[in-house]
Amino acid sequence: MNKLAKDPINVVVAGVGGQGNVMVTLVLGNTLVHDGYFVTIGETYGASQRGGSVMSHLKISAEKQYSPLIPEGQADIVLGMEPVETLRVLKSYGNQNVVTVLNPRPIHPVDFTGSGAGYPDMESLLAQVAGMSAKTYVVEATGEAQKLGNPMLANMILIGALIQTGLVTISREAIEKTIRDMFPKAVKENIAALSKGRELAAGQ
Amino acid sequence: MSNIDIDAPGSNQLFIGNEAMARGALEAGVGWASAYPGTPSSEILSSLAEVAKKRDIYVEWSVNEKVAIEAGAAASFAGLRSLVAMKMNGLNVVIDFLSTIILSGIGKKGLVLMVGDDPAAHSSSNETDSRPVSKWLDIPLVEPGDFQEAKDMMPYLYDISEEFGTICILRSVTRVAHARGNIRLGEIPKVVHKARFEQYYDPAAPMPTPIMCIPSSFRHMFQHVRIDKIREKFETSPYNKYVGPEKPDLLIVTAGSGWLYSQDAVNALKAEDRIGILKLGTLWPLPEKLVKSCLSKADKVLFIEETDPFLEGVIMEFAAGFSPESKRNLFYGNHTRHLNSFGELTPDAVIKAITGVLDIKYQPRDAEYMKKVESVPQQYVMDRLLTFCPGCPHRASFWAIKDALAMDGRHGFVTGDIGCYTMALGPAGFFQTRTHQCMGAGAGLANGFGQLRRFGFDQPVVSVVGDSTFYHSIIPALVNGVHNHSDFTLVILDNGATAMTGFQPHPGTGLTAMGEPAQQISMENICRAIGARVEVCDPFDLKNTTRTMLDLIEQKEGARVAIMRRTCELVRQKKEEKPYKMKIDPEKCLGEDCGCNRLCTRVFRCPGLIWDPVAGKTKIDEVICNECGVCADICPEGAITKEAVA
Amino acid sequence: MVTKTKGMGELFKEVINKGLCTLCGACIGDCPYTVFYRGKIRMLDFCNREEGHCYEYCPRTHTDLDEISNKLLGVPFSGAGIGTVKDVFMARSRDSKVRSKAQYGGTVTTLLLLALENGLINAAITTKTSDEKLPESCVAHSAAEVMESAGSSYMAYPVLEAVNRIPKESKDRLGIVVTPCQAVALAKMRLNPPTQRNSLDNLRLSIGLFCTWALDYGRFYEFLKNNVDLAKVNKFDIPPPPANKFDVYMGQEIKSFPLDEVRNYRMATCAYCLDMTAEFTDISVGSVEGVEGWNTVIVRTQRGMDIIADAKKMGRLDIKDLPDQSLTHLKEAALNKRARAVQEIVKKTGDKNELMYIDISDNLKQKLLGQRVTVQGGH
Repeated sequence: MNKLAKDPINVVVAGVGGQGNVMVTLVLGNTLVHDGYFVTIGETYGASQRGGSVMSHLKISAEKQYSPLIPEGQADIVLGMEPVETLRVLKSYGNQNVVTVLNPRPIHPVDFTGSGAGYPDMESLLAQVAGMSAKTYVVEATGEAQKLGNPMLANMILIGALIQTGLVTISREAIEKTIRDMFPKAVKENIAALSKGRELAAGQ
Repeated sequence: MSNIDIDAPGSNQLFIGNEAMARGALEAGVGWASAYPGTPSSEILSSLAEVAKKRDIYVEWSVNEKVAIEAGAAASFAGLRSLVAMKMNGLNVVIDFLSTIILSGIGKKGLVLMVGDDPAAHSSSNETDSRPVSKWLDIPLVEPGDFQEAKDMMPYLYDISEEFGTICILRSVTRVAHARGNIRLGEIPKVVHKARFEQYYDPAAPMPTPIMCIPSSFRHMFQHVRIDKIREKFETSPYNKYVGPEKPDLLIVTAGSGWLYSQDAVNALKAEDRIGILKLGTLWPLPEKLVKSCLSKADKVLFIEETDPFLEGVIMEFAAGFSPESKRNLFYGNHTRHLNSFGELTPDAVIKAITGVLDIKYQPRDAEYMKKVESVPQQYVMDRLLTFCPGCPHRASFWAIKDALAMDGRHGFVTGDIGCYTMALGPAGFFQTRTHQCMGAGAGLANGFGQLRRFGFDQPVVSVVGDSTFYHSIIPALVNGVHNHSDFTLVILDNGATAMTGFQPHPGTGLTAMGEPAQQISMENICRAIGARVEVCDPFDLKNTTRTMLDLIEQKEGARVAIMRRTCELVRQKKEEKPYKMKIDPEKCLGEDCGCNRLCTRVFRCPGLIWDPVAGKTKIDEVICNECGVCADICPEGAITKEAVA
Repeated sequence: MVTKTKGMGELFKEVINKGLCTLCGACIGDCPYTVFYRGKIRMLDFCNREEGHCYEYCPRTHTDLDEISNKLLGVPFSGAGIGTVKDVFMARSRDSKVRSKAQYGGTVTTLLLLALENGLINAAITTKTSDEKLPESCVAHSAAEVMESAGSSYMAYPVLEAVNRIPKESKDRLGIVVTPCQAVALAKMRLNPPTQRNSLDNLRLSIGLFCTWALDYGRFYEFLKNNVDLAKVNKFDIPPPPANKFDVYMGQEIKSFPLDEVRNYRMATCAYCLDMTAEFTDISVGSVEGVEGWNTVIVRTQRGMDIIADAKKMGRLDIKDLPDQSLTHLKEAALNKRARAVQEIVKKTGDKNELMYIDISDNLKQKLLGQRVTVQGGH
């Protein structure tokens, strides 16, 4: 366990019910706890499978146990699994230093669909996100995951990209151990996705 | 789900609060656990169920909370440490039993009731605070302030329960029960559970006293004596602590989720040298001496609590009785509107309360960034309403119910109940549900509406319940309906799982909590035995389901039942491949034209269908779509097609 | 005066919820939002289109009678009661089988059979009586199917639903039998053909039925069910004259109800109808006052003249001159219905300038408002 440059590091994982938000925080959290860190995760349950906005707060500390909620404007990293949700989270938790890792694949809210408005213009949406982040990594995680054969691997691609940013210190060995523990039947695919994520973020 | 019985004492694990409590129960050596699922309490039992056989303990999903606690009490009566878990709604159901067991006392072994409260009602129909029940019914109550305590308090509470012979409550809230944090594991003792109810068997020996609540007044007095003794015990509890300077400008009194939030807030305000925090883990009976000594540290006292101002009330009441030489404190909290008595507590709410009492400036973000925040167009971050999953049978069921009620034309309506299908209050279920209370209430209300024909009431009444809810609390309502000739239609959405809370088995599934086969209790047989007409249909067969509903609605009198049976999509997709390949022919899609006007994306609103406003056509989101095929049956132009996957 | 086309919300607000629906069926059949069920048009979901064919084609929304008459018949809407007449006479089928099953002289059935036979049409949209003795629409492609549809139940039925269900790409040459309100809706469809469904370019023959009122599908069916054994019923009739009873044939047995009693089951909306003889069709057919077993036939278009010429040539109809007195009475009765409807409308709106859905010339309005009317008896 290393002392953190900033303690705690506040990560918000933003997505939509059914995307695997909880799984993402679990992979990160389990890895960090085994590395000796204090981790607190606040999750939204109930809505988690039913199309609503789902946000997890992940606090990482080398010193103590923090509360499961991040105060307004105090995110250090936003891991955006969906563009609208990323912007929503930046609105509440973003600040001039926040780093955003974003999967630009939209999940159309039934309300956007229902009203006929359609999904917001992607270019301007991404510009908003970039304008509210000190650095933005756009990672085509879903598209790459489909190429790997399963859209759910998008989550592991995003985790790979997050690790590549160097903002959370997760060793390759530690995360691969977590993958083996959590997905014993799909170790190869998940490790491939992880590498793909690192590769995609490395160029940015 | 984590492996809660991992044999690694001293190691650190990342557990949600509920898993921590379950681990704590194992470390306390429980032999019995029973519960009815309810967010945020369900994972306690489900994680114990996973290890039950290995640990040689008994774990059951009971049919409802009342049976869960009574069955759990029997285990205590027969000499097993027993855990019963439920959400706060369940607590309301078991109050009657609690009001007698505090008089009768428990058996030789401890009985702990874990109650999970849901402030902000994330997944509930209300946000009732359970803590006042402890004062009202004289039940000792503790509440963990973090994840480690969630585990550690279990063995502690069993010791208290056994030492004083009373049931105890461990209360937690969503942000502890459903949050994850570090747990340092303890040891799980090897207990050989042996059950026996002490009985009169030796004519020469004195007959044991029955476990009973009479003479009630005497036993009531005795419980008060017990409570006073437990108060003494709580004075030195390791779960009550004070952190901060000896003479702070402000004393925060807090418990539960407020403990971590208060620390975070003080930390964010860099006010560690000005603010002290008294964190209480044993809330009732109140450790009065400890509280009094802490109150003397500061003039100003701020109560930080989630939902009800419980401690605020009991401590101010207690402080009002101090002897005159005591210094009077200035109390802040809900009564001074520094904190709300509704909704969820957050670090920001605590910061706001503190800065409202002490003169501390706090600005989380600079003005330049706030300008950016305000520039975000509202339509970009429009609320994402909850909806049924793609492929959910409920969407089809409510489509059929909607069509049947509309065709009937007498302004019929649905009385709702508790489950995923509660979402039928909104567009997910086409606004069909018009009442929403507690579990079972929809059928009870339908009984009443259906009895009002004599007063000119002429609307069809449809009570919609889930399968688990049916066993939990609908059967008496159906008996009442048939017995008293009430005129309503009961619809049971049988998706083969308690889907809302995480797919727990129930009496209709033919499986127990421990994964053992059980007799499948047929809901149609129950309804028929009661004397109701029963029709079973597949909601994906929209035509037949609509016809069946119409036929039932139009039946002149008596309670009747439609069972709409189809497996929860989230359960199905774990076992099977997608059944169809869905396609849309853009040539045929009418889009917004007369004759369609986006029936699929505007009204049916499955998240798997998306609207392309530029092309003016509907598309399928192949990542989201579960290819159930229902939208092909509602498309008026045959533009959406389903092709069976071989 | 309403001139704008509106949507489904207004259709329900202005027509259906006010009890003005004629049950013509123009708003159903190709629309997923509306459905016919047990005698009523029901809204399954709300369509928020600001303009819809449902509103546009409804015979009880704004209807410019001059425009329709000009376009379909080449003359303005007539002040006379029976509309445009190219020829008028009385006729009956030469086929006794047709006569016994059909109403009055069986002329409608005979003309449909002929049109099918000589290829003028290859599908006839009409109404038949179901096994439950309820009317239902049918698209007849054969003589046998046309024979099944002979006869009337006097109950309103949304036959235009069947028109709306015709596939867009269908090339069927259509014949149709309609009541006056249905004829108005059909005329509105033809004037502004829909783009997303069959445009009715291939409508080859429209036959109108005389109508003073129709019976309410839901309420009258209940009445029948409670008073006769529906399984045995094979025909309904209001025999002239003096048109004061409603006969239900059950094999050899006939059960008669006083027409005054049956009239209680009229549709309220019929009081606001200006048209007795289905003016916007090729041929209109009804009974003949005082002559049993014959039809009055009004031919309005060249198409109508052509098929009658064929019928004469092939000897399918007995044709006789209509007695002057009958024609006079028919005209009086039709004018009476027209004037009474306008006066009823004004009674309902309380404003002489507010004629609800009717758009007619001021002159005609004044004339009809000044007309003395009598209470109508027969059908």
